[in-house]
Formats: sequence, C-alpha cells, structure tokens
Amino acid sequence: MSATREFPAPELARLTLGMLPLNDAAPLVVAVEEGFFAAEGLEVSLSVESSWAGLRDAMQLGLLDGAQMLALMPLSSTLGIDGRRTPMLSALTLNLGGNAITVSQALHAQMQALGDEALTEPLGQARALKRVIEQRRLAGEPPLRFANVYPFSSHRYLLRYWLAAGGIDPERDLELRVVPPPLMVSQLEAGGLDGYCVGEPWNRLAQGRGLGHVLCGSFDIWGASQEKVFGVREAWAERYPDTHRAVLRGLLRACAWLDRSAANRQRAAHLLCVGGYLDVAPQVVEQGLRHLADARGEKGAPGATLFQRHATNFPWYSHTRWYANQMQRWGHLPGDLDLEALIARCVRPDLYRQAAADIGLSSPLDDSKTEGAHDREWSLPGTRGGIDMGPDRFLDGGVFGA
Amino acid sequence: MTIRVLIVDAKAERSRALDQALVEAGFEVMTTVDESEDLYTVMERLQPDAVIVDAALPSRDTLEHLGQLGRRFPKPMIMLAEEETPELTQQAAQAGVSAYVVDSVMPALVRSMINVAVTSFEAHRALKGELTRTQESLAQRRAIDRAKALIMENRTCGEDAAYQYLRTTAMNRRMTIHELAQELLAATGKKS
Repeated sequence: MSATREFPAPELARLTLGMLPLNDAAPLVVAVEEGFFAAEGLEVSLSVESSWAGLRDAMQLGLLDGAQMLALMPLSSTLGIDGRRTPMLSALTLNLGGNAITVSQALHAQMQALGDEALTEPLGQARALKRVIEQRRLAGEPPLRFANVYPFSSHRYLLRYWLAAGGIDPERDLELRVVPPPLMVSQLEAGGLDGYCVGEPWNRLAQGRGLGHVLCGSFDIWGASQEKVFGVREAWAERYPDTHRAVLRGLLRACAWLDRSAANRQRAAHLLCVGGYLDVAPQVVEQGLRHLADARGEKGAPGATLFQRHATNFPWYSHTRWYANQMQRWGHLPGDLDLEALIARCVRPDLYRQAAADIGLSSPLDDSKTEGAHDREWSLPGTRGGIDMGPDRFLDGGVFGA
Repeated sequence: MTIRVLIVDAKAERSRALDQALVEAGFEVMTTVDESEDLYTVMERLQPDAVIVDAALPSRDTLEHLGQLGRRFPKPMIMLAEEETPELTQQAAQAGVSAYVVDSVMPALVRSMINVAVTSFEAHRALKGELTRTQESLAQRRAIDRAKALIMENRTCGEDAAYQYLRTTAMNRRMTIHELAQELLAATGKKS
C-alpha cells in the first residue's frame, strides 16, 4: 500500500467502468476483485452492458467513466461514425488475440472434400472455402452467410483479411452479418449461419457441442492482433488525469497478474463466473482463458489470448493504423483523412509510459513497430531494459511498415 | 405521414402495452418480434421508419450494422438526436429503451415516440417490481454469494471448496453457476 502513496491522489474516488460479458473483460474484473484498484485508492463498480452499442451510448452520454472497448471504438467515436461524435482515447490495450473463426460441420465437410491442401493452416482453409463458394455458385445455390460481432470490430477486419487472402471477395462472394455472440451458436445450429468470427467462449462452445469446427484463431491471422482496449472520453482524461493514471496502474497490475501463472488464469475464470459477470458454464470460460503456456500444447490453440506478455498493454500506433487501413481498404473510412493526426489523438502511448514508469515497468521507446516481420520471438529495446516480443506474422506473409 | 414502428422485445406483456400506447399517440405499430427472429429479413421486408428495442437485448448490435448499410435503414437515436435532446437520450438509456429512426422523421415525432416508450417501460417496471439493469447484475452476484454461504454452512467447508462444489455441479448439470445458485436458493426456500 505504502508504495502508492507517492502518487498524486486520484481526483475521483468512485468510478463506474463498463464491460461486456466476455472472457477478455478479465483485467477489469481481476482489478476489482483482487484489489488492484483499491490499492490505488479507487472504488470501482463494473457495469455489465449487453451490447457494444449499449456500451457506446453509455460512454457517449457520460454514464460511464471508462470501459473495455473494441480497439476501433475510440477512433470511430472521435470521428462521429459510431454514434454521436465524442472524442475518446485509449492509453492501454487489454489483450491480444482471443478470437477464432468457426464454420458449421456441413461447411467443414465441403471444404475437406474440395480442398486439395491440408486444412490445417489458415491460408489453405481460406482457399478451400473459395472452392466451396465457386461450386455453390455454379450449382446456383445461395451465398454462404458469415457473421462477426460489430461493425467497428477487430473480428470484422480479421475475418475479411482471411477471406481476401484466400481470393474471396467479402462484398460479393458471401453475405456478412452482425450477430451478437450469445446467438451465434444457435444460429449456426439452425443453419442461419455457415460460419463466424467471435471471441471465446463462443468457438469452443460450438465445437464442444459438435455443431461447428474451429478453423483458426486471431494469432494465426495476425500474430500480434490487438483485441480490446481500455478507453475513456478525451474530456474526462483531461479533467481527471491522476484518476486515469491510477486506473491504468491498476489495470497494468491486473494484466501482469493474469499472465503470471496458469493458476491465476483459472482463478480469473472463477471470478468471472462466481462474480456474476459472465453467465456461462465455468469450464468453458476456464478453457478459453487457459494460460498460453498450457494452450500451446493444443493444436494451434485458437482463441488463446495474452494480457501482458510481449508488451500486450502498450497502445501501438501501428496496431490502430493497421485496423484503420483495413477500414479504408473496404471503404469503411474515407481515404483522404488525416489518419496520422487522428491516431495521435486517440492512441496515447505517452500516457501509458507515465503509468508504466510509476510501477517500474519497461516501455517500448517507439510509438510504432513494423507489423508482420517476425516469425519467432524477438527483443525490443525498452525504457528499463529489453522487452521480449512474440511473433507478429500475417497469414499471407505481408509486412506492414512502421 | 404516419410513422411505422417495429418493436423488438422479448417481454410480451410489456410490448403489448407499448403497442397500445404508441397507437393511441398516433403511431402505426407494424409488429413485435423477439431475438429469435432474423432481423435482417424482418427489416428488409417491413422497412420500418423506426425501431424501438429493449436495450438489454444484445441484438442492438445487429441494428447498428443495418443502420450502416444504407439510408433506408433506421439509425441509432444517439446519432440523430445530436445535441438537441441529450436528456431524453439519457432518460431512455436509463429506462432500458433504445430507438432507431430514419433521417426523414421529424425530431418532434422522435421525441414523442421516445417519451411514449420510456413511460410505458417505466410503468411496466413499476407494476412488475422489476429491477433496473444495474440492480440485476448486483442481484445476480448476491444470489451466487448466498448460495456459496449456504454450501459452506451445510458442508462445513471453506469458500474455495464451496466454489469447487458449485463449479462441478454446474458442469455436470450443464448449467451456469447463476442458474444453479438460483435453484439451490429456491430449494431451501431462500429468496434469491
């Protein structure tokens, strides 16, 4: 406790933070339940929202102080393309990875019958899907239907990147919808969907019930894929800088705790279920949150997620830039935008470095990195010594320059 | 011009009352659907001017996507209201009402429609003694805590053992911990 005394007292003692009932809300739940926020002098209550639109409304109306967010939400809200124009920013990434692509058993069987490559790696899988699509077109069958979770989501752009890498045009060759995660499995079962990209536990759940086949995970598509972030309104961050910094310290400690051991991951699953945050069977949550050291033992381990290792929490400009480029690629963001100015406004590595320095963590020196250049683990210079980084390869071998 | 409204709600009694109130206020209610229906097909077929949806339904995100697809689909209220009616949007959010409206509907009519929906939802909540959204998740946590306490008492065990018991039982019975907690409390006659 005494270690926190040297920091300026937060301007706000009581906060309400928003989250969705998902495995990767774990850092917020752990920070509350294991006392990491309390140690910073913060009394935090978590508000469990039922949709991203609901969470966005609550943020834009000022009903929440901060929230777990989709990585693209601060940028989209600042631009005014997602709800009411409200400048938002993020100074911390909550996790990397965690999503997977699942297809129905029927579609998987068709892919196996038509693909002449092994269906074990994502590029071969996407190419096999293309063959199925071509055959269906010749037979005059309706287009396949895939789903993701929200218009401005990593799921949407990872799915599109995977499809396009296999030569599939996501606009013409299939129908893309938004379906809330809890409804995905039942729609796959009812035949309303042929596949989807979603976070855990909704991939394991489909596979466990024999309804779907999990093809590949976020890390198979992009080795460093950024997932959720912690976001606040820009005006809030300016008004309560010391509160923001204290929240960031609490979250950094919670994230480090989550990646420390397999036992902590299991404990986090317990907190999510027994705390009433997530109304899903506990063993499904536990499997999805399994420590990467364990999960790597499984083949591919789609849906595996990192909360702290490999500089997970650092808000890289290059992560947001990659997603923004994907939005532009598909015409979801104007091409003539001053993207760099927008990224500098919504992504705040400077605020991250302050909070990290407070608790003695080493931060990357640069705000961007080359994405896709590393096949294996590598080391990055940091403010307090080198940082171990993970592979960041794209499925098609593409390199996205810094 | 009559505004044609689609209601998306899983609570039949509440949506019937809302339907009636909207009609009395001069709106046309096309139909009421719940989450199990395919919203893409429903929206394409009916082309409503406005949608009123229970804010607790995750399907709101599907309506967001439809709103992005083109002018003919209603947009989220928070986008249309701009700075004109922030209090009303806030009130609606607290009452659990979400709305989607096409650009061409006059702001005065949007306000009137939202007011009708907020009043109707709040009347239903008062009548049924229902909890607000924030109270619901708190109540859920309390139910689990009380079930745990019950197990600790009955089996004279510690918290971790009580959790293990809940976990294993829920797993074997393919239930969530909250469902099991409610069942345990109901069986012993304790209110969840």
